Amino acid sequence: MEREVVPWDNPEPLSGPIGVPLVDLLDRLLATGVVISGDLVIAIADVPLVRVSLHALLSSVNERVPAPWADGGPL
Amino acid sequence: MTERGPGQAPDDSALYVFAVCDAPDPAAFGGLPGVAAGQPLGRLRFGALTAIVQTVRAADFTDEVWQARMADRDELERYARAHHDVVSAAAACCPTVPLPLATLYHGEDRARQALLDETERFRTALERTAGHSEWGVKVYTADLPAPDPSPSPPRAEAPAAGSRPAPGAGLAYLERKRGVQARRERRHEDALRLAETVETAFGALSAAGRRLRLHAPELVGKGHTQVLNATYLVPDHRGAELQVLARTLRNTTGARIDVSGPWVPYSFVGEV
Repeated sequence: MEREVVPWDNPEPLSGPIGVPLVDLLDRLLATGVVISGDLVIAIADVPLVRVSLHALLSSVNERVPAPWADGGPL
Repeated sequence: MTERGPGQAPDDSALYVFAVCDAPDPAAFGGLPGVAAGQPLGRLRFGALTAIVQTVRAADFTDEVWQARMADRDELERYARAHHDVVSAAAACCPTVPLPLATLYHGEDRARQALLDETERFRTALERTAGHSEWGVKVYTADLPAPDPSPSPPRAEAPAAGSRPAPGAGLAYLERKRGVQARRERRHEDALRLAETVETAFGALSAAGRRLRLHAPELVGKGHTQVLNATYLVPDHRGAELQVLARTLRNTTGARIDVSGPWVPYSFVGEV
């Protein structure tokens, strides 16, 4: 999995050996994309259950820590 | 890399769709495992476009299995990175629209039909993102070392049980509370202003921009508060300019500004 096809000329230190920080990847992978209806399960952005477990996992912005903005983002 | 012919997958298999491309080079995907070990990545033509696909076991992608996977950090990371690797490989060789993690169909015919139905949206997304990359911009303020102790009087010796507080203690307490509240509001306003400043500056060299949700304090770590998590669709020839802008803003605002990219334009292929 060393193959990082898109080059990163990022001057900042990247967290993790593989390059792209997981949290930044998930910001993009889970919240966006052309959502089309798949047959089996999941266009993830539309699945509240997944969203819930992700919240548990990543402890994203929650009630205890109100976001400074009303539109806290796509998730 | 295999070219998919017409046909229906067996009942126990499903077709995972990673991305839709203009004209992918099969060689770009050699050696990538995708999300199912032992299964080669394939191309599924639909109209003039091509999807990058992989046959997976349907049993690996039921609701329950997927939910369990999403709740397991390592598994989630494995799948996210496998998906990202395929999307990145596609984007490196031709204009690409990533699909959300775990977009699956009952076989090739179903997938082809569903993708054909969305051709217009894929075309629009390809046109919007051609010649652009996504860049993430996160802004953090440094937390104050400790609450400012100066306005509060030195704490009196703990009163013996049953004794009364000194006269005026209640008023001092209220004033202290008000001071804390005022400082908190001031910092909040400063953070909003800082976020807007950075957002405006990056927006000026971008074709589009979005705010993503802020990361939780546990993810940000001690000492800093994230005040902006934004992402921008930037013309490829302005990537260097973006780095210069980040440096300039770091100097003028004193804030920590993290830039990541170039990303495949995940955040700008949907309805924005």
